[in-house]
Amino acid sequence: MMVLLALVVLPIAAGFALYALPRADRTLAKGIATGVAAVTFLAGIALRDQSMSVRWLARPFTAAFHFADDGIGFWIALLLALCTLCAVLAANVPRLRDFLALMLLLEGAMMGVFLARDLLVFALFWDLMLVPVFLGLLGWGEHPSTAWRYLIYNFAGGLTLLLSTAAFGVAFGSTDVIGRSGLAHLGYIWGPWIFAGFAFAFLVKTPIWPLHTWMPPTYSDTPPPMVAVVSAVQSKAGLYGFIVVGMALLPEAMHAATYVMLWLGLISLLYGGFVALVQTDAKRIVAYSSLSHLGLILVAIFSFNALALRGALIYVIAHGLFNAVLFLVLGFIEEREETRSLPRLGGLARANPKIAGAFAIGALAALGLPGLIGFAGELIMLTGIFSAGYFWPALIALVPIVLAAAYMLRLFQDIMQGPEIPDVPIRRDLTLIEGLAVAPLVLAMVFFGVNPHALTTFDTTLYVSASELAP
Amino acid sequence: MIANPYSGADWNAVVPLSIVAVAALVVLFADLVTPKGLAKRWVPVAISAIGLAGAAFTCGEGWGHSYAAFGGGFMVGGFATVFQEIVIVAALLSVAIYAHVGEDENFSGGLALLLWSTSGAMLMAGAGSLMTIFLGLELLSLALYCLCGLSPRATAGEAALKYLILSSAASGFMLYGMALFFGATGSVALAALAGQAVESNALFLCGTALFLIGIAFKLSLVPFHVWVPDVFQGAPLPVTAFMSVVTKAATLAVFARFAYAAVTGPHAQAILAPVYVIAGISMIVGNLGALAQTDMKRLLAYSGIAQVGYIVAALAGSTALGLRYAIFYLAAYTFMNIGAFLVVALLSTSKEEGSALAAYRGLGRTRPVLAAAMVLFLLALAGLPPTAGFVGKILILSANFDAGYAWLAGLLIAGTAISLYVYFKIVGLMYGRHERPHPTEVRPVAPLAWAGLVACVLFTFVWTFDPLGPSNVLPLVK
Repeated sequence: MMVLLALVVLPIAAGFALYALPRADRTLAKGIATGVAAVTFLAGIALRDQSMSVRWLARPFTAAFHFADDGIGFWIALLLALCTLCAVLAANVPRLRDFLALMLLLEGAMMGVFLARDLLVFALFWDLMLVPVFLGLLGWGEHPSTAWRYLIYNFAGGLTLLLSTAAFGVAFGSTDVIGRSGLAHLGYIWGPWIFAGFAFAFLVKTPIWPLHTWMPPTYSDTPPPMVAVVSAVQSKAGLYGFIVVGMALLPEAMHAATYVMLWLGLISLLYGGFVALVQTDAKRIVAYSSLSHLGLILVAIFSFNALALRGALIYVIAHGLFNAVLFLVLGFIEEREETRSLPRLGGLARANPKIAGAFAIGALAALGLPGLIGFAGELIMLTGIFSAGYFWPALIALVPIVLAAAYMLRLFQDIMQGPEIPDVPIRRDLTLIEGLAVAPLVLAMVFFGVNPHALTTFDTTLYVSASELAP
Repeated sequence: MIANPYSGADWNAVVPLSIVAVAALVVLFADLVTPKGLAKRWVPVAISAIGLAGAAFTCGEGWGHSYAAFGGGFMVGGFATVFQEIVIVAALLSVAIYAHVGEDENFSGGLALLLWSTSGAMLMAGAGSLMTIFLGLELLSLALYCLCGLSPRATAGEAALKYLILSSAASGFMLYGMALFFGATGSVALAALAGQAVESNALFLCGTALFLIGIAFKLSLVPFHVWVPDVFQGAPLPVTAFMSVVTKAATLAVFARFAYAAVTGPHAQAILAPVYVIAGISMIVGNLGALAQTDMKRLLAYSGIAQVGYIVAALAGSTALGLRYAIFYLAAYTFMNIGAFLVVALLSTSKEEGSALAAYRGLGRTRPVLAAAMVLFLLALAGLPPTAGFVGKILILSANFDAGYAWLAGLLIAGTAISLYVYFKIVGLMYGRHERPHPTEVRPVAPLAWAGLVACVLFTFVWTFDPLGPSNVLPLVK
């Protein structure tokens, strides 16, 4: 119980406490923030089937501050703790103290999302996690308009989530339901509407075409350490929601939406893949590749197959790890070269072999090289989609895997290989701290790549069987 | 010799509001005998605070002992207690603002008027008959007309005149409605209006229409809202803060009592439906109006129009839960709204009130604590966690679903979506990296205003986790 509480409360409390430190002392702020993130990560490792619950509302429906780490939440929480730790270590931005405070607040809010067992608490943290990113974009982003675009899209999603949560609570009498399944049939004519509200929020957050337009500018404007966490973990909140809320609680409505969602997923994965091919902003390439990968996970979820779901959950972790690596390394490069435009970069590998090495592993994982974690997830997902009887979707889903190879290799070549650009200001390889920030992520990619079944402690049957009960 | 028709219990019922009214007299008297200097400000403020605290205490004693005093004219306990406490708290917080930014000229006079206005609102909160409703309303309003015009600034006179003319017209509507009620039932008691027999009476229906127009005006529901921004902008800051909560709370008490206890026939919901429709429209129009504002007082005036729409929406369907949630949201709104006004007060300089939006540029760097508090209040007004505003909105949404008013829930969400830009625009000004800080004059420390701010922050935050509105507030008349 204490561990769960620490995971949510410690980063938030520490985030506020950071503001009490002297503004100019960057080392102190970074030391404390790293310490807090490390303790949070250790606490995450120590999690094993814990649960805590404090009563919140009695009427009009029961709700409780109920947190638990069973099922999928555990691995995503661990991913979050790891990504935050690495991002905090790597952070090197102006006004570092304030930035690190926001990072810790973001971590706490997202922990709440993935550990909450109560829909209302889930909605609370869902809305809460908007604020640090908005403030981060305002204070450190390139254009204020990006912050607004991020906020408007995600707040709209947050509102429909809130509306659906209230309606669900009134219809079912309780919101303390996440992690449960096989609930009595809601028997509520608004079931599809409730699902629609949730689905809108989840699609915006993931994001999925055509609700993705906030994402490329957000990913390219946000400072790298924050975008590493946002793209690695916050983007998973929507997919996580589809599994624990849609599949488990509203299976009929979820099934009814299958074809729409499959189409949206397929369009996203093709659209993201093709657009990534022609971008020249390095961060935008990774952003659009994200759209493509997340579309694939959506297709896997909506094939309602235990194998595909297992693959999806592995790929959720995989995508988190390699996206965090790619964005962190791109951040290092941008710091040195002062640009992330591909035509103005080139030949970095000769002077910066460590950066090139880390980047290569991340890119190879993203394109699905066997032996790294991306491959395991993709293969299992595709097998699952195919065995669920979705032949054409599985076939279409192969296309972006080919595209991924093309755009990832192009990204790597344009930055790392070819002739060196002469007027680059600094040629400095990874510092020790930067290396330490990337190493755990790279190691995790390799470890889970050769050993993916370590990740499959998920109880997928809970969710798939719930959805199979549906007509 | 005529026997006194009233017992001790009747007089006990009005002790809290009498304390406030008497405190106002003491303030005026003390002003005559205190020497010039700092005491001129602190003595009246201390007397007001003590008077309000005493009223809060005696009023709290009545909680749980509900009874009808003066033959049903004034209700004690339960519902009345809750609303009176809200009014007293709002008045206390306004006094804290007044102590900081009140003009030296007429300092005690303004304070006395504020207290009299408070006692009028307390009377309305407990009013069980048409006579007491009107008495309270006029006591509240007359004092406010004077308060609006109290500032030497040119806009204050305009605000006062606008408020006087429009508000008097609204009072006229209400009074006409009451006269028709009397014609329909031959009684001034609200309880006499209840039931099926009256509902089909044409006099009653016409009276309801007129009465509700008056209510909608005082609540500032669309389309009776146009006076609000001008009056709020022109009035002195403490008066604006006071009006933004107290007028609404007192009128809501009257409306809730009317809706729950007087309109009880089978067609009750159809009769009240127009109010809920305009409440829904207010959520949209209020927030749309707030979008374009560049003055904090005007912005909060428009946002208040929307907020009162949310509260009235909770009452739709006349369910017990809805009433509880309306009270909870009102109490939360008291703290978050006056909290925002306290920030404005703490930003005020001797030359100008800190209400121009430009004063918020770069505040996150120059006054981090004040900016953080403002963020919390804005999050609460927008209905985002971790604030009482978030829980309050969830409760209102579920009350609407519960009572079958899903369309109101939809409008509430639409209004909230618009309000996002209103509130986050200020966050953007405070924290945007391109915002050049606005030079501010450092003012003397204002302990009372800071204490009020801390209280507002605490309640806005802590009520997220313990949103238990008061139970046992029904029945509203006896």
